[in-house]
Amino acid sequence: MIPATGQVAAPGLARRRPGLRLRALLGRPEVGALAAAIVIFLFFLLVAPSFRSAASFLTVLYQSSTIGIVAVGVGLLMIGGEFDLSAGVVPVSAGLVNSMFCWYFGVNLWVGAVLSLVFCLLVGFLNGWLVMRTGIPSFLITLGTFFVLQGANLGVTKLVTGSVSSRDISAIDGFGSLQKVFASSFAAGSATVWITVLWWVLFVGLAAWTLQRTRIGNWIYAVGGSAESARAVGVPVVRTKIGLFMTVSFLGWFVGMHSLYRFNTLQAGNGVGNEFLYIIAAVVGGTLLTGGFGNALGAAIGAFIFGTTSLGIVYAGWDPNWFKAFLGVMLLLAVLVNTYVKRLSTAVSPREGGLT
Amino acid sequence: MRKRLLAAGAVAVLALAACSSGGREDSGADDSGGGNAPGSSGYTIAFVTHETPGDTFWDKVRAGAEQAAKDEGVTLKYSNDPDAGKQAGLIQSAVDAKVNGIATTLVTPDALAGAVKSASGAGIPVVGLNAGLDQYRKLGALMYFGSDESLAGTSLGKRIAGEGAKHPLCVIHQTGSVSLESRCAGVRSAVPGTENLQVNGADDSAVTTTLQAKLAQDKSIDYIVTLGAPIALDAINAKQQASSSAKLVTFDLNQEMAKRIKDGQVEFAIDQQPYVQGYMAVTSLYLYLKNGNDIGGGGPVLTGPSFVDSSNIDKILPFTEKNTR
Amino acid sequence: MTDTLAEHADRNLRRGEPLVELVGVGKNYGPIRALHGIDLRVGAGEVTCVLGDNGAGKSTLIKIISGLHPHTSGRLAVDGADRRFGSPREALDLGIATVYQDLAVVPLMEVWRNFFLGSELVSGRFPLAGMRIREMRRIADQELRKMGIVVSDIDQPIGTLSGGQRQCVAIARAVYFGARVLILDEPTAALGVKQSGVVLKYIAAARDAGLGVVFITHNPQHAYLVGDHFVILKRGATVLDAARGSVTLTDLTTQMAGGDELAELSRELERPS
Repeated sequence: MIPATGQVAAPGLARRRPGLRLRALLGRPEVGALAAAIVIFLFFLLVAPSFRSAASFLTVLYQSSTIGIVAVGVGLLMIGGEFDLSAGVVPVSAGLVNSMFCWYFGVNLWVGAVLSLVFCLLVGFLNGWLVMRTGIPSFLITLGTFFVLQGANLGVTKLVTGSVSSRDISAIDGFGSLQKVFASSFAAGSATVWITVLWWVLFVGLAAWTLQRTRIGNWIYAVGGSAESARAVGVPVVRTKIGLFMTVSFLGWFVGMHSLYRFNTLQAGNGVGNEFLYIIAAVVGGTLLTGGFGNALGAAIGAFIFGTTSLGIVYAGWDPNWFKAFLGVMLLLAVLVNTYVKRLSTAVSPREGGLT
Repeated sequence: MRKRLLAAGAVAVLALAACSSGGREDSGADDSGGGNAPGSSGYTIAFVTHETPGDTFWDKVRAGAEQAAKDEGVTLKYSNDPDAGKQAGLIQSAVDAKVNGIATTLVTPDALAGAVKSASGAGIPVVGLNAGLDQYRKLGALMYFGSDESLAGTSLGKRIAGEGAKHPLCVIHQTGSVSLESRCAGVRSAVPGTENLQVNGADDSAVTTTLQAKLAQDKSIDYIVTLGAPIALDAINAKQQASSSAKLVTFDLNQEMAKRIKDGQVEFAIDQQPYVQGYMAVTSLYLYLKNGNDIGGGGPVLTGPSFVDSSNIDKILPFTEKNTR
Repeated sequence: MTDTLAEHADRNLRRGEPLVELVGVGKNYGPIRALHGIDLRVGAGEVTCVLGDNGAGKSTLIKIISGLHPHTSGRLAVDGADRRFGSPREALDLGIATVYQDLAVVPLMEVWRNFFLGSELVSGRFPLAGMRIREMRRIADQELRKMGIVVSDIDQPIGTLSGGQRQCVAIARAVYFGARVLILDEPTAALGVKQSGVVLKYIAAARDAGLGVVFITHNPQHAYLVGDHFVILKRGATVLDAARGSVTLTDLTTQMAGGDELAELSRELERPS
């Protein structure tokens, strides 16, 4: 890790290394979640015979991906020190904008998809801009956006279609090609692979690259860890945070497109409650609620734990009513582990280094 | 640069807009049923429900109530809240506003008793609808329009039992809902092998995958009973994914569902005719106020269960498109 | 370590040349007057000490020079040209770097990430272009070593370093990125005697390398050790403005402790003997 040119401290360093490495490993945000994911997965393999098949595994991955795609964005946003409670209904809004615009005006669905993307990015921008402009906690601002969108989803849908669900759009031009992009699947042996799983992997990879390897990633950690310090050394805090909000709403749009082109019609009241699943996935994956710590892989593992448990319980033939209780326990454990790890990795060690 | 992109985008939109089909049909006909719109009768009727916003079912109840109000020249004040305490507050505020009549759902009779009694005390007639079959008389409501959840469940159960069902799966899409639980209990009373499954009704993907997992876990499931039309549509997806041959039956009806019944993907739907509940609740109050009529012969008026299957779907399909069935 | 500072310092700096000049600068936060009529001159190769009690207006003054808040009256000139900063980035681009007492670094981030924060080395202009991480870690480690800061692992969160080390990393960073004017906000406030000494040596080294230094402190002893010029603020205004030759440590200490007010206080508290 350290060039061999180390002068005075070198012998002492050699002694301390194993401890350091263990600490560095434990300090990685996703380690706790990874261990939990493996344990949970093995557990369900053991107790649920029907869980032991490629098809089941891919169903779990699909379920994880529908949560995981947005959760990755929410994870980034939380590392950047902000929350987005509107993330649950944004996908529904996205689908409704696309579906109703095209149904009402009889235009190609691609037009609506682009329009819906613009709409979602605007929602994200507005969230970020309001938070940065007013200094009001994002928790409150996005709670407002959440209610506005939830109400508008219902009100506008009722106005346009005369009902609270959108109309069937499968006969409108562009449906086939959009379905290929957002909601297609292919067979791998006896199992079905949904394209969202691939998109999920891509988004996680992209987010991980951005966080670890790019300047923007450096800025995201900095604005979440200490926005004032970041601003003082010239990090564009406002732009970074607004960008994060827009990333979340972009991913929300993506999942919205998936739901629309998989199910053709959307219930205007859906999506409520999902925002917490995203936050839980990020937190279980090691993201610190107060920002500045976490990574993309962690959020992905968090979503995978969610997918495994929600379906594992069904595969095991248990009463799914217990699922929420289990989720709560997972969340509490994750928060405890995170707090412990943070204390461990930032504690000032009196013997550390030194000024010569 | 940015401007040019915008311009290009606008051109693309216009070009695409010119050529597409499959959307809304621009028919000249007014689809609102064409009421005869007489002069106002001068009555104001408050209509209070426990609707959770976003449910197609309540849409129809409300559509029926609004049509009745239009037909009879009644001013309708619609309000709703899924929280029992708040619903009681809505009834109370209708009493305070001195409306001529109140139609309300009685899903939580104990919580609503006070408010309903204060309405009777103020001489305002109250009519129950949708839920509260057993308690409406005790609370002092004059009439009741709705179906019996448990009875509906039982009759669905009897029908699939007759077709040879051994192990139906009853899908509950809302946590802790008494009426959904009693539907499943009704099914179970006719087919003892019935199993309940809880799903997150607010997320279509979650419903689909949970059902898919259940179908993979237990291959002996021969019938899927869903309690709402949107859930049945997800069940169709899940069945395909799990290559299950279970038959699908459902409560409630909507336009999509009617099409699925027609093409045979859903065996039948059991309908409690929400439009009728809304329409009759308002109409009965109107007749009571105007003419002192009493409907139901001292008992509840049942609006369901009504079976919709391949034998009568052709007749019903057009009505679902108008959102009246 | 002086070598390192000289190595990165701007070679065109000439001792005594004015870098930043404030004339009659004031700042109002709404109806509240935080600062008024401040004159300050920061010359190359000089340490200007700004002293004052809590609430005297020291932090407001720093915020103006470092670009966090724009001033509301008076003139701020950098290299002779009038400026009005909209963001710290603008000040940084003119070579004005600030090291804050409590905000110097982002505690949870690795040492090397902190070192390069806001000035990352990237391999292209594309927003998602990779950072040259290996190079950044090597440089950060090298620079810190050269300055006598030995961290056992350049990847450890900077929060695990001691307060003095963190201040030094922040100063080293500022100098490495070509600061011409260094503003230090209470760098010794939370430090022990030994660590304070190290920070003061840095300040002297930066001065010798030709940088202009603004040293904010409430410790006259520390100020007198390195300062060339002393300004004492009280309730948003200047109460003393003197060069090193015309003021003694005792003067500074008395002024800082409250001057006449202190004399009055000592009379009031006098015990009957």
